[in-house]
Amino acid sequence: MKDIEIILGIESSCDDTAAAVVTADRRILSSIVADQTMLHSAFGGVVPEIAARAHAEKLDFAVEQALSEADVTLKDIHAIAVTAGPGLIGGVMSGVMLAKGLATGSGLPLIGVNHLVGHALTPRLTDDLAFPYLMLLVSGGHCQFLIVNGPDQFERLGGTIDDAPGEAFDKVARLLGLSQPGGPSIEIAAQSGNDKAFAFPRPLLNRDGMDMSFSGLKTAVLRSRDAIISEKGGISLKDQSDLAASFQSAVTDLLVEKSRRAIQVYLEQSPVQPALAVAGGVAANTLVRAGLKDLTSKMSVEFIAPPLPLCTDNAAMIAWVGHELRRIGHPGMTPLVPRPRWPLDPRRPSMLGSGKKGAKA
Amino acid sequence: MSDNVSVLGFDTSGAHCGAAYFSGGDVVSAAYEDMKRGQAERLPEMIAEVMEAADADIGQLSAIGVGVGPGNFTGIRISISYARGLAMALGIPAVGVDLFDALALGQDRDMVLCLKAPRDSFYIQIRAGAEVSDITTWTPGNDLTFPSGAICLGENADILANELGIERMPAKYAPASAIARIAAHRFRDTVDRPKPLYLRPADAAPSSTPAPTIIT
Repeated sequence: MKDIEIILGIESSCDDTAAAVVTADRRILSSIVADQTMLHSAFGGVVPEIAARAHAEKLDFAVEQALSEADVTLKDIHAIAVTAGPGLIGGVMSGVMLAKGLATGSGLPLIGVNHLVGHALTPRLTDDLAFPYLMLLVSGGHCQFLIVNGPDQFERLGGTIDDAPGEAFDKVARLLGLSQPGGPSIEIAAQSGNDKAFAFPRPLLNRDGMDMSFSGLKTAVLRSRDAIISEKGGISLKDQSDLAASFQSAVTDLLVEKSRRAIQVYLEQSPVQPALAVAGGVAANTLVRAGLKDLTSKMSVEFIAPPLPLCTDNAAMIAWVGHELRRIGHPGMTPLVPRPRWPLDPRRPSMLGSGKKGAKA
Repeated sequence: MSDNVSVLGFDTSGAHCGAAYFSGGDVVSAAYEDMKRGQAERLPEMIAEVMEAADADIGQLSAIGVGVGPGNFTGIRISISYARGLAMALGIPAVGVDLFDALALGQDRDMVLCLKAPRDSFYIQIRAGAEVSDITTWTPGNDLTFPSGAICLGENADILANELGIERMPAKYAPASAIARIAAHRFRDTVDRPKPLYLRPADAAPSSTPAPTIIT
């Protein structure tokens, strides 16, 4: 055990309080994720102050549980990796300060990690995938295509210019009276629905490039719903299923078509082991997954979908980035300062939230 | 209290950053800087400086004391998260100390204690002898009942002193020094980990889109 490095990972950038212990030879000794869904359920989205309060009081317990389940103590750990952004700053702040306290008290090196890099390098933790591979990160907070060339080298091909698809799933679920989180409940409702009942738009589908938009789609669902309500005073279970199925079908079409273009661009680099990897909660959607699987097999590209607990937010991926960075002698973010915005590819800043504070992700 | 007790105290609950090292029955070294932002970066450095000035080893600490507010939510969480990480790594207790206790330390008169609250108001606690009032919010121009002969102390206490016509006193100790001293007395009996003293619920409004009626 002594010769193989072990890293403690800490993640608190959104609404999951997470800690994990991962070895350099890709073994996840523990991965604790305490989600806050119940705390936010009344508010129709993650409330930053509620998330920050929960992280500040739960994160050290998550770390203790992760160490105990891995059957190690801080003395067995070689480094601590912590999410330093991008994300909700209150939670990131708690995670970084807890990690700084742990590092000061234990004398361990501390590595500040980009949350998106965590998702982007997960296929190497789960499948030992070789660089360069194409990554579709599609979650409640993010949606982008990246060519992953190395642990610190990312080329951003495109992404959403407004909402993330996961956010759209949650909002549409609410509009249809379905439970949160929206992904699973829309998927279940859609099973008995007709996906052609409503002709929802596919924004930017015919536009060149790999940028996407989901905000207009959400508004279209709202308009169709309101039209039904003004006619009948409510929506039937059949309307609910049809709306869910038609919405899900539009999201899938968008993601699959934009993935096709991203794969074309990626294949121009002649990768040795061509692969499309996905991460994020939306990658768990059966229809999206089937669409991408079908596309990749047609294009002779391997499809890698890590197991769901490693697709959604977790700390094992953060610990893993620590290993990847240490392997190439990268110190992580220096100096380590919590950042709400931290784009992966600074050469091509996102169109998302690019106000005076710069690109968000 | 035995003389070999050593405690590190710190506080970033307001527009400041402060740290103090208490050992051998007194504060040996301390630092305080006015600071509106940047505490997350400055606090660990300042603690290292305070420990070095006292030639003290962080591994020899008996306990940690940390300010829990009331005050700036983010600032409070910066210190508390750091304290909880440090305490876990060192295997020692972290003691949360509220800022009213810190202000009142070393005073024996009846007191009106004040801390800045949002929108020009104050958080107020009144101490008469051994009696400690609940924390209330008070805005200048409104009535406030307090024992005659009480002094006032705290943040912007001159405003209270003018408004209420009472004597203003400076706090005897800087926040971090008071917190270290108080924690030195309390750490053996402390069970709970420090948590922020929030006097307001989280700013959050329930979803504005009502769910549709489902016709069955």
